[in-house]
Amino acid sequence: MKDLPDFNAMSDADFRTLARDFVETNYPDIPRYSLSRLHWEDVKPWYLVLSEHGWICPTWPRQHGGMGLTAGKHLILIEEFERFGAARVNDIGPVMLGPLLLKYGTEAQKAEFLPKILSGEHVWAQGYSEPGAGSDLAAVRCEAVLDGDEWVINGQKTWCTLGMDANWIFILARTDKTVKKQAGISFLLVPMDAPGVTTRNIENLEREAEFCEVFFDDVRVPADYIVGGVNEGWTAAKALLGHERVFIGAPRLSSAAMTRLKRIALRAGAWHDPVFRDRYVALQSDVADLGDLFETYVDMLRDGRPIGADVAMLKIFQSELYQRISELMMEVAGEDAGLAQPPEADRQLHAAATWLSARPTTIFGGSTEIMRNMLAKAILDLPS
Amino acid sequence: MADGLVEEWVENARMIVESARAIVPADGALDRVRKARFDGPGYDRAVMAEAGELGLFLMRVGEEAGGLGLGMRETCELARVLGRGLLPEPVLPAIMAGALLQEHMPEAAMKGDQVITWAWQDAPGALTWQGAGRKLAVQGATGADLFAVVSGDGLALLPRDAVTLNAAETLDGGQLCSISYAAPDAQHPCPAAQSVLEDATLAHSAYLLGLSERALEITLDYLRVRKQFDRPIGSFQSLQHRATEIKVSLELSRAAIFATARRFDTGADALTRARGAARVKLRAAELAMHVSREAIQMHGAMGITDEADIGLFVRKAMAEANLFGAPRVLRARLAELLDEGEAA
Repeated sequence: MKDLPDFNAMSDADFRTLARDFVETNYPDIPRYSLSRLHWEDVKPWYLVLSEHGWICPTWPRQHGGMGLTAGKHLILIEEFERFGAARVNDIGPVMLGPLLLKYGTEAQKAEFLPKILSGEHVWAQGYSEPGAGSDLAAVRCEAVLDGDEWVINGQKTWCTLGMDANWIFILARTDKTVKKQAGISFLLVPMDAPGVTTRNIENLEREAEFCEVFFDDVRVPADYIVGGVNEGWTAAKALLGHERVFIGAPRLSSAAMTRLKRIALRAGAWHDPVFRDRYVALQSDVADLGDLFETYVDMLRDGRPIGADVAMLKIFQSELYQRISELMMEVAGEDAGLAQPPEADRQLHAAATWLSARPTTIFGGSTEIMRNMLAKAILDLPS
Repeated sequence: MADGLVEEWVENARMIVESARAIVPADGALDRVRKARFDGPGYDRAVMAEAGELGLFLMRVGEEAGGLGLGMRETCELARVLGRGLLPEPVLPAIMAGALLQEHMPEAAMKGDQVITWAWQDAPGALTWQGAGRKLAVQGATGADLFAVVSGDGLALLPRDAVTLNAAETLDGGQLCSISYAAPDAQHPCPAAQSVLEDATLAHSAYLLGLSERALEITLDYLRVRKQFDRPIGSFQSLQHRATEIKVSLELSRAAIFATARRFDTGADALTRARGAARVKLRAAELAMHVSREAIQMHGAMGITDEADIGLFVRKAMAEANLFGAPRVLRARLAELLDEGEAA
């Protein structure tokens, strides 16, 4: 690990330059601006480069191997990486598990797991959803029973993003069936090579294996592979996210899609069509308005003010806007919209790829409907 | 604001809003607004005098010209509060007249003893001000004494007897006028006309934001108390989801207005200004009509009565959402600017 400079002491402009130079200098020979997630074998070189320079866990404290970035600096890093089109790495360890262990993990757990996330030795998957527990996550049935000094796990997890690439998975498991459903859940760490763990890939609508199911059949893990105490997994899982909740509403996804929409329109001869333009500028205004709303939350992060439940508005609008852009793409693409392969072998011109990639955004990470329920009660103070 | 200091404009805006409480009741009472409807000009000249006394018409007059020299953020914050109270008086037009006239703003108009408004619009659906002799959609004209009129020839300050009014009653009980006039020989040069039009568009958007904000609050109150099937109707998911949709639009509008005002205050280029004004007005107009439609539906039969206050908001939105450009016009403007952006 290299000695890192004090990033937070740098001016925003200097840090931006540093981040830009970093990605331009160090990005390996792997795809950029990919519309779908890359698998571990393809994205590993980038993970390892980030790891080698101490840049793989931007938000972790420095004494644990992170960059210790403030939210404002982290945002700049994300912006510069996205501007360059850097692929998203398998980041469940750095983004989700690491912060959770730092908050709820024992010293032994931190010592065992954090360095292996940093090095890329452990690639993590998230095991929350089940066939009967999606938006109603507290309904998980996958069960863990203590037998001596081991947990014995039986059940099934699903929609594990890039789960086929992972060698470890963290799960929410039912450890008490006699209490209110949120109260009987624990957070467990499971090696994927433990006897009794099997996986089955799920192809998405783009016919790519982006997620998988994971089955647990009498899987045994040590009793101390529990994080945050028995029956306290729900609290730990809910405490996640932090400023990720702001970044998920960033306008970048939509503004990049607008650039592709313009290219598709130019190719289709629609760019100067006033009917098309009427709709294009409406979407463009929406993207700009989203940018202004996003900035108000970024300002709160920079000032260290707390982020309230209302931040869900960002994700709701961002994901639906991205979908509306993709819908106009499909319309403008005409007959090409139905083709399985991208025009000119350029995925940027493939309206269907954007349309399909826009679908999960209103489903995962809290469906739009669940978020509207929550906003209605928490922000609009409407009755149950 | 990284160092935690409150920016100067926040404090200024707080003081302006506090003083505006003299003309917009803090409790949201609308009795005066209701009484002023469909009666003469549809507003009270005494309230204009009060606003003048508060110094509101000096907001956009530079300090060197004896004004307050306040920014668009303060102006938008005031406009939002006026919109919440559905203030019918032409306070914003008088502020814009001051912005145009600067040191030529007559003292009687500053003080509100004489009511001043401004006129710019050339033709139906136009966002241009260069033509002379006839101007459309002049707010507050029926009760006005003075008219600041912009055209390609410059800025003319005309007394009431120099203009011919053609008034039409509006849905909210006010009047919207077209005016015709013989252009005087002596006019002030007016290099600020375009930017004042953009400022006015932004301020009007903030008025619509305030109107929408209050209309949503009233509607939410109703959803909490109105019971059907033994439950408050606000517990029904379809209404909850639709209410959140309005809330999202409202917060987008607020963010866009104040971010645009900040850009205006800190020296935005011409293209950024033109795009910003059109964009915030587009969202504010759509927001005002969106909340109006839903407010009526969510109030049920009460929503279609004139006695329910929510109707005052609906009628104001209908009367004013299209001023400074209807959504179609604004999108056409943004489409033109698309090519300017290309060329730049």
